[in-house]
Amino acid sequence: MITRAFLAACVALAWLAGAGQATAQPALVPPYTVAYQPVGVDEIGWWREMDEEEAVLAQSDLVIRDETLNAYVRKVLCDTVGSDRCNAVRIYIVRAPFFNASMTANGTMRVFTGLLLRVQNEAELGTVLGHEFGHFENRHILGKFKARRSGTDVLAWAAVLGSLAPSYDVVRTYRNLEFSIYGNLYRYGRDQEREADRLAIAYLNNSALRPQAASQMWDNLMAEAEASARGRGLKKPKFDAIAFAASHPPNAERAGYLAELARPDAATRDDGAERYREALAPWLGMFLDDQIKLNDFGASEYLLQALAQGGWTAQLHHARGELYRMRGAPRDLVNAAQFYADAIALDPAHAEANRGLGLSLLKTGQAGAGQAALQRYLDLKPDASDARLIRMMIPDQGAAQ
Amino acid sequence: MKDAPIGLLVGWLAVALASAPFAAHAHKLRERGAPVAVADTPLTVTPSRDWNRLDVRLGKNTEHWTVDGEQLNDVTFFAAITPGQPLVRERSKKREPLPRFTKATLLVEVPELLETTWRTYKRSGSFQMTGIEPGRFLGADGVHFTYEFVDQDELPRRGEARAAIIAGKLYMISFEAPRLHYFAAGIEDFRKLADSARLP
Repeated sequence: MITRAFLAACVALAWLAGAGQATAQPALVPPYTVAYQPVGVDEIGWWREMDEEEAVLAQSDLVIRDETLNAYVRKVLCDTVGSDRCNAVRIYIVRAPFFNASMTANGTMRVFTGLLLRVQNEAELGTVLGHEFGHFENRHILGKFKARRSGTDVLAWAAVLGSLAPSYDVVRTYRNLEFSIYGNLYRYGRDQEREADRLAIAYLNNSALRPQAASQMWDNLMAEAEASARGRGLKKPKFDAIAFAASHPPNAERAGYLAELARPDAATRDDGAERYREALAPWLGMFLDDQIKLNDFGASEYLLQALAQGGWTAQLHHARGELYRMRGAPRDLVNAAQFYADAIALDPAHAEANRGLGLSLLKTGQAGAGQAALQRYLDLKPDASDARLIRMMIPDQGAAQ
Repeated sequence: MKDAPIGLLVGWLAVALASAPFAAHAHKLRERGAPVAVADTPLTVTPSRDWNRLDVRLGKNTEHWTVDGEQLNDVTFFAAITPGQPLVRERSKKREPLPRFTKATLLVEVPELLETTWRTYKRSGSFQMTGIEPGRFLGADGVHFTYEFVDQDELPRRGEARAAIIAGKLYMISFEAPRLHYFAAGIEDFRKLADSARLP
């Protein structure tokens, strides 16, 4: 009986430990501490571990070290959270074509290139950077670590004490306790995400950027996920439901409360779309290439359409041609040839578009026109890495080799 | 105490079961100078040194060889990939489809096929073709290409591959190893292995 009573107490304790902190109130920006230092053995330990991880990350070949791009992303963070706060963070732009960013306890912020490709203005980027900064400012990682440790401690003791009185009832109670504790830990994590979201919108409300962009970003992401699923013939994803072990709240919920919490009188502010496009321009080609080669037709097509809202450029036409040519169905090749031709019409010196056009035409049985396009590719880029092989595909040139 | 021998038996059984996967993954030695068929196809190679054939297969028509372990030097054979087939087995046909080799695939597109496959399959964030040259493979006109990529383990690797399309099927052999030391150390052995590849 004592054991069962203990287990029941554990359940109650676990419930309290994991109780959510979510409230509907918009968060206020917490007071800022200059050069915060870790306190206590847990936090000091975490920071040391993260310092070591950061030293490895700093050497990684996946990190983009371009000074201008890094300075720009840092400026957006500083514009969002304030120039005093942003000094606490080191930003690493990681080449990975997925929508993500992350933060460690010691202030190491990873920003994935897939995120930079997807957000459309400074306010949207600021939303994500502010969210990650919110995790840092409110010491979420330490909180999560402590919650996990307490939860698993309770489970370990319950297992020991439960084994003193092994009966079906005790085993059942233990299983319930396990579900309850793990469920609460996941919910605790999701509540931290909600809190970070509320902080992000609080930073944006205080900044000169347009906070309404935050919910717009989630709407765009949901539309992309839908396009991706449609392209693969999958069911429409559910945006209002989550799994038991989900780490983040449902996207639709996030879009909803972010829209609610944005200051209504800030809706007319500039979101920095033009500045963002300008800063990203030198990188767009590489980020698009990384995305298109992921073999996710629906999402890539959605992103291209979104990027082309301000007008189709030769670069976007070329990327679309590549996307269709790589999927490679006969109808795709016809479309691809058209997109490459559109790119060439805007920029006749676009070598890669001529290559793509040539290959697409060859594959649709138009050898003469295809070889002419490949010849133009070689003329424009005689030292291309595949020049010798392409040359062999043009009869006269091949014979000359 | 009466139950002890049964407990012991159960214990042994658990140990035997736990060790079973290792037995299933018994790697095979590929001895120097002995011609051997690859991936149950007519493609044969005659290694110039001893290699280990790993029992893990990425797909029906593939085979993995290594000297020190697949993360350090990895030779992958893609033997007789037929049109409509991806290079390696898809983890999920619906959620993570891989690009396929098709009848229309041109030789110059084969490096791109490997790149897009690895980008999805290995989740390589960074992948760069460094050279694509015409060259012979299996006695036919083919393509030789080199590339660099960074994997999930963030270790920069270099790769070299040869491919040819023979009777509508794709044959390819690739070598991938960390840029530091292992690529240079193993590339000559790989080239000799690729040179020794024959189709009847």
